[in-house]
Amino acid sequence: MSDTVPRHTGGHAITTPGDDFHERTASAVADPILQRALHNLDRRLRTANESAAAHPEWKDRAAAIRRETLLDLDGWLDRLEHSLVARGVHVHRASTPADARRTIVELAQARGARTVVKSKSMATEEIDLGNALEDAGLTSVETDLGEYIVQLAGERPSHMITPAIHKTLPQIRDVLAREAGTDLAVDREALTAWARDRLRGEFLRADIGITGVNFAAADTGTLVLVTNEGNGRFCTTLPRVHVAVMPVEKVIPRLADVGILLPLLTTHATGQALSNYVTMISGPRRAGETDGPDELHVVFLDNRRRTLLGTRYEEMLACIRCGACLNVCPVYRNVSGHAYDSVYSGPMGKVLTPLLSGGTEGADLPYGSTLCHACSDACPVKIPLGDMILALRADVPDPQSGARRRRRIFWAVWARAWSTPRGYKLTTALARMSHGRVPGLRAWTSTRELPRPARESFRDRWAKEHV
Amino acid sequence: MIDALVAGLRANSCSVWGPMSDEVARGKVVERVSAHLLVACNDDVPIPGIVDALRERGVDVLTPGDPAWTERLADAEVGITGSRLAVAEPSTIALAAAPGAPRATSLVPPVHICVVSVDALVPTLADAMMGIAAGEMPSALTWIGGPSRTGDLEMITTLGVHGPRAVEIVLLG
Ligand code: SF4
Repeated sequence: MSDTVPRHTGGHAITTPGDDFHERTASAVADPILQRALHNLDRRLRTANESAAAHPEWKDRAAAIRRETLLDLDGWLDRLEHSLVARGVHVHRASTPADARRTIVELAQARGARTVVKSKSMATEEIDLGNALEDAGLTSVETDLGEYIVQLAGERPSHMITPAIHKTLPQIRDVLAREAGTDLAVDREALTAWARDRLRGEFLRADIGITGVNFAAADTGTLVLVTNEGNGRFCTTLPRVHVAVMPVEKVIPRLADVGILLPLLTTHATGQALSNYVTMISGPRRAGETDGPDELHVVFLDNRRRTLLGTRYEEMLACIRCGACLNVCPVYRNVSGHAYDSVYSGPMGKVLTPLLSGGTEGADLPYGSTLCHACSDACPVKIPLGDMILALRADVPDPQSGARRRRRIFWAVWARAWSTPRGYKLTTALARMSHGRVPGLRAWTSTRELPRPARESFRDRWAKEHV
Repeated sequence: MIDALVAGLRANSCSVWGPMSDEVARGKVVERVSAHLLVACNDDVPIPGIVDALRERGVDVLTPGDPAWTERLADAEVGITGSRLAVAEPSTIALAAAPGAPRATSLVPPVHICVVSVDALVPTLADAMMGIAAGEMPSALTWIGGPSRTGDLEMITTLGVHGPRAVEIVLLG
C-alpha cells in the first residue's frame, strides 16, 4: 500500500492527497510507489504510437465524421432514437446525471433487481451510478478487471482505458486477497484466475447488465461496444435486462462509419489494430434465440453537452475517449489520474471537467498544464486540446491559486521529468514524435529551429545492441 | 488476403488451421476436441456432419436445442461456432446471434473453435461495414480477433480473463 492515507470524498478514496490540483500534483510526484506504477505507461506509449502512426489519413476522415455529427447533433439523435425504437429498444433522455441515475434506479427497482453487473464505462462513472445503485440497496459489481480492483479499493479509475494503472502488482494482490479472505500469489495468472471465477458467479447472478456505448449508429440503430476482456459481452448476454448509458455525442450518422472510427479508436487506445471483441447490438434478443437480454434500454445522457454546441468548445464533443492524450501528457504521466480529483483526467479531463460542471469542478485544472500541445498532436480526431486549455484559462477563473502556485506545479513536474532517466527518456521520445518540438517549448520553437533529434536515441540503440 | 488474415490472427494469439476441405476440417476439429468430455456446438457450423462425427468419437456434444443448454454450457470445455464474415485487416471474425447460434458459445467455454470459409473474407473493416449496414443486422454481431485479454495488471497482457483463453480458427476452402 502507498503510505499516503486514503481520503474519502464523494464515496471515493483519493490516494493522491492535496486540496487542489497543484498540491495533489506535488504529492503524486513525491509518491515513490505511484511513480513505480506509472513506469508501466511507457509500454503503452510505444505500441500505441507506432500503430497510430500507420494510417495518418484516417485521422482526417474520422475528424470529418465527428464534425459532421456535431453540425446536427439533435437531428442525428432523433434519427438514432427512431431506429432504436423501431427495433424494440426503450430510449430514455436524461438531461442531468440525477435524471439518469433516477431512471436507472427506478428501472431496476421496478424489475425487482438485486444485482447489477457493470462493464467499464466513463459515462457511468460520470453519473456516479455505482454508488446510486448501492444507495438504493442494489449490489453493483464492476466487471472489468482493472475497474473491479479499483472498486474493491474504494477508489476511482485513474485512467479511462487502464483504470488501475496507478497500482503495482503487489498492491493489486493486496486488494484482491482482502476480498478473497485468503492469501493470493503476486502472480498475474493466479490473480486473473481468481477474479475470473469470482466474477463468473456475479454474471450468472445478475439481473441487469449495464454498459456504456462506444458508438451508436443512427441509420441502423446499432450500439457498438469495444472490449478485450469479454466482460462487456457477459453483461450483454446473460442478464435479462441490458441498460446502456450513452452520452449524446456517441451518436454517429452511419454504421459504415465505424469502419474508420473503430480501428482509429483501438490503435490510439491500446495499439491494437482492433480490440479483441467488438459487439454490435441491434435490439434485444429475438424470437427463438437462446441468450441475450429480453429488454434493452438506452439512456441518452446530456449533462450540459448540448450547451457546448456552437461554442469554441464544441469540438470537445468529437472525443472518442481513446486516452491517447493522457498517455502522451507530461503532467498526466507524472501524476496519474487521481491528482485531477475528477472522473475525466489528463488533457481531455482538464477541458471536459470544468465544462460539464459549469465551472464548479476542476476550475483549477486548465492552469496545471505545460501547454506543450502533445495532446493536440496525439488526438485521433484532431481536437485542439491545447488551445482549449488556454481558452479555459480566460473563461473559467482559477478559483484559488495565484501565479506562484501555477509555477510550482510546472517546476515540480519538469524537475522530476528531467532529473530521472525515465523522465529524460520520455521527453526526448516525445520530442522525436513531435518532430523536433520539445514539449513545453512549442511557442518558442515555432519561431526558432531546434536541432532535430536523431530518429533513434543513443539510449535506444544501446539497449537494442545489448540485449 | 488469406495470408493477412492468418498472420493477423496468429499475431493476436490465435491458432489458425487451413484453408482445408470440409473433410479434412471435420477430422481436424474431431482431433482437437476428442480429448474433451463436453463440447458445445452451434447449429450453423459449416462442416457437414460435425456433430455426428464428434459423437462417434465419444464426445458429449451439447447443442442449442438441448433443453439443458443453459445449465450445461458452464461445464463445456470447448465451444464451436460458425462464421460467415471475416475481415483480413484488421483480422477479425464476425459471429451473428441467431436461433441455433447463441452468443455464449464463443464466450463461456475456455476454448473457442470457429469455423469460417475463405469465401467469407473481405479485405477491410470498412468493406465489411458497408456490406452489413446494407442488410438486416442480427440482434448481436460479435467480432472476435483473439482470446479474452487484459492489460490491467501493470499493462502486461494476460489471457483468458472472462472469455476464452484459447481461440482456434479453422479455415475452409
Ligand atoms: S481528446 Fe482526443 S486523444 Fe483525448 S481521449 Fe478524446 S479522442 Fe482521445
